[in-house]
Amino acid sequence: MTDLSFENVSITYRSSTDRGDVIAVSDVSLDLPAGATLGIAGESGSGKSTLIMSALRLLPKSARLDGRVLLGGKDIKELSFGEIRAVRWAQASIVFQGALHSLNPVREVGKQIIEALEHHAKGTWTTPEKRRERMFGLLDEVDLERAKASAYPHELSGGQKQRIMIAMALACEPDIIIADEPTTALDVIVQKQILSGLADLVADRGISLLMISHDLAVLSAVCANLAIMRHGELVEYGPSDEVCLQPQVEYTKQLAGAFPQIGDPESRLHPRTLKPAEVHRAEPFAMSEEVVLEAKNLSVSFDTRRGRERAVRGVDLKLRRAEILAVVGQSGSGKTTLARSLLGLQEVEPGSQLAFAGSPLPRKAKALRTFRRKVQMILQDPSGSLNPKRSVYEAVVEGLRVQGIRDRQYERVIGALEAAELTPAADYLESIPQELSGGQRQRVVIAGALALEPQLLIADEPVASLDASVRGEILSLFLALKKNLGMSALIITHDLGLAWNIADTVAVMKKGEIVEYGEVDTVLSNPQHEYTQELLAAVPRLGSQSLVRNE
Amino acid sequence: MSTPTHDDPQPGESRPEDPRPGDPAAPDASPENSTAASAPGSVGTADMDEPPAGGSFARYLLGKIGGAATSMVLVILLGFFAFRMLPGDPVLKIAKERPMSPAQIAELYRQYGLDKPVIVQFWDYLVGIVTGDLGESYVYRKSVSSLIGDYLGPTLLLTATAAVIAIALGLWLGQLSAWRRNSLFDKLASSTSLVFWSVPTFWLGLILLMIFGGTLQWLPTGGMITPGLDPWSPAGIIDVIKHLILPVISLVAVVYAQFLMVMRASLLEEMNEDYLTTARAKGLNEDEVRRRHAVPNALLPTVTVVFLHIGGLIAGAVTVEAVFSWPGLGKLTFEAIRGPDLPLLQGTFVVFSAIIILMNLAADIVYRFLDPRVRRA
Repeated sequence: MTDLSFENVSITYRSSTDRGDVIAVSDVSLDLPAGATLGIAGESGSGKSTLIMSALRLLPKSARLDGRVLLGGKDIKELSFGEIRAVRWAQASIVFQGALHSLNPVREVGKQIIEALEHHAKGTWTTPEKRRERMFGLLDEVDLERAKASAYPHELSGGQKQRIMIAMALACEPDIIIADEPTTALDVIVQKQILSGLADLVADRGISLLMISHDLAVLSAVCANLAIMRHGELVEYGPSDEVCLQPQVEYTKQLAGAFPQIGDPESRLHPRTLKPAEVHRAEPFAMSEEVVLEAKNLSVSFDTRRGRERAVRGVDLKLRRAEILAVVGQSGSGKTTLARSLLGLQEVEPGSQLAFAGSPLPRKAKALRTFRRKVQMILQDPSGSLNPKRSVYEAVVEGLRVQGIRDRQYERVIGALEAAELTPAADYLESIPQELSGGQRQRVVIAGALALEPQLLIADEPVASLDASVRGEILSLFLALKKNLGMSALIITHDLGLAWNIADTVAVMKKGEIVEYGEVDTVLSNPQHEYTQELLAAVPRLGSQSLVRNE
Repeated sequence: MSTPTHDDPQPGESRPEDPRPGDPAAPDASPENSTAASAPGSVGTADMDEPPAGGSFARYLLGKIGGAATSMVLVILLGFFAFRMLPGDPVLKIAKERPMSPAQIAELYRQYGLDKPVIVQFWDYLVGIVTGDLGESYVYRKSVSSLIGDYLGPTLLLTATAAVIAIALGLWLGQLSAWRRNSLFDKLASSTSLVFWSVPTFWLGLILLMIFGGTLQWLPTGGMITPGLDPWSPAGIIDVIKHLILPVISLVAVVYAQFLMVMRASLLEEMNEDYLTTARAKGLNEDEVRRRHAVPNALLPTVTVVFLHIGGLIAGAVTVEAVFSWPGLGKLTFEAIRGPDLPLLQGTFVVFSAIIILMNLAADIVYRFLDPRVRRA
């Protein structure tokens, strides 16, 4: 068995630009004894990824490491390349975010698992047949069909890719598994499957687990100890329960509060954030009875190679003025298709009825353009939905230009940026997306929608790719927009906590159908449908250590 | 040691027995099977988020062949009508060169079939193409098919040799340059290739000819083989290779830069991808990471460019053939234009176009084998 310990580790990225050297990690000491589980939480830029990459000496050449990283008592800096190669994967392996690009897109996943075996034969899997057998055994262990061995990454869902990553990490029977955001971008159900699978495997073999995530609840579900990092420094360390439930440091409290506990009345319609958006109307708008958008018996089908697939089946929805409706479901449940068809971007089946402000949705290009002025869409990834070469002003003004609104363009842009709480707005006009933080980018996207003074915002996972603290800011902005401008919003998400934080009503979607629909307080406090119950049960809770086994 | 996870159900978690792969009792993977209650464990068999499977190869191939056939039909149409619009009447040109009576001229028109209505000529042309008879050259007085047959071989020999060398050299230098970005090797390889790239082919050909053919007299100055030698005898083969060296060098030197640049750029794009970190973490050394993971991915965009440029290489061979008096299609086309020798022009045009269309078809097929993602298209 192997211990991993970081002794006063500092990591600096040398840079020849004006910014000078960047300190990514400063003076961190952590211990991971054999068989232990440790979670490191922090937001982007906290240095947590840099720290774990140093454990296998995977940092780029521009990084300088001070202090010692000890693996099984040996300083990894002193190992030769041949020795470090032997350590990689055989003693410590890494589970990356499989949902993204951590698998080679042009090789069969089974062969990628076998590749690890070929490099660390260990005298056990000496022949190709034995390696193949071992690979199939690994697929069994992570609950994947053996036939998936010959699949390519693009043929698998996010959860399946993550299972492949875990199978690959287990391949050479490592003593330590390092998991880097293993469930980010997965929905709660799949997240729970992955986490429980990981927790079981680790407990069964006495493997030690080092996991990093921005989500305290996820970490506390699996790890016995938690470390909190910020700006490269370790701010808090201790047993999971204590860190989550009785945090000592202000920053940990903030992180812990960023993810709402469903059922906790304090966070209902009140996303926790240090920078809440301002409500400046004396009588804030509240959900009214005036119906803005109505869908009746809405169905959408696609032609796929497997035949005609019904992505949305007979959905009835009503969105009132100043109502925030959360459509919740797993990936593949048809919620994005639903949003697209509400925008008139998707052909619907005959018999479907869609009405905006009482009249049917237009079909002609010109009328659709006018309609889209009133309904705006916000996408998940602000880095992807903003043109990297255009300034903030150009990004926001584009909608006005497309809609042919020529008067007071500058004032409208400033107004929209201020409504999105980018103040003073004039400071941001010339910035390009690269110079902005994730939260600021999402605000620019929202401002682009607001510039057209829409009556309805449709947002597809607006906070899924944002840090915990930024998440609260953006959610509070949505609430403020509703209260100040009387705007309605339909928010698509897999995050039930988001619904609890800001939505008035919630619709739970499964396989294209709405299985439960009603007021948030009713549905989430007393779910009737078993699928809603299952979704709720899958949400990780702070400090519950639901998946940790103490044997 | 390997305890299957499903043997240890967690308290408070509904995790049904997973259908084991290979278990005869396991239900078939169909979406209907996974009800809400069984969803968590059965994700391996029915995952609602799983992308649809790809289409069959035969269907893809048929689609691509259909596309190529359509292009070919258009080329055949163009081949007939475009050359009918060229200025200059071939019969009058011949009549100008030697005295001919109006009766003889009419006889020539009849012989060439130019007296018939255009639609009939077009029909004859179509029938000819289908039966492989491309008509008779006005100038050479030989069948166009046999002329092209005689000249196609040398052109293919020249361009195929040059293409193989240029592609291999360009891709190899390109991936090394990208991997050692900003090193001395990278700077030297890139800048040298660009210098050659900006040199005109004929100029380089002439310089090489002057130095190695003229001053040093190491290599022959023109043609494909010394007259009188049997090309299939050992001495003949060596002689052909000697004749081949200079034209191939001129062709390769000018074009390999584009392969180098494309390969370098696409490998640079792959170099920050996460799957390379995965490969490194697995214990592969840098060479293996490059050869097994980075290069296969970087090859994808490169392949398209490479096949597109092979067509250009054949066109580029025309000037080289002229400089080195290489008896190839380029030389034949050049003479056909001077006629205008309509049947010969049509023939070479159709053959050149067919080669380029075939190359694109080959690119599509190769791409499908290289990139599994295309298999869904």
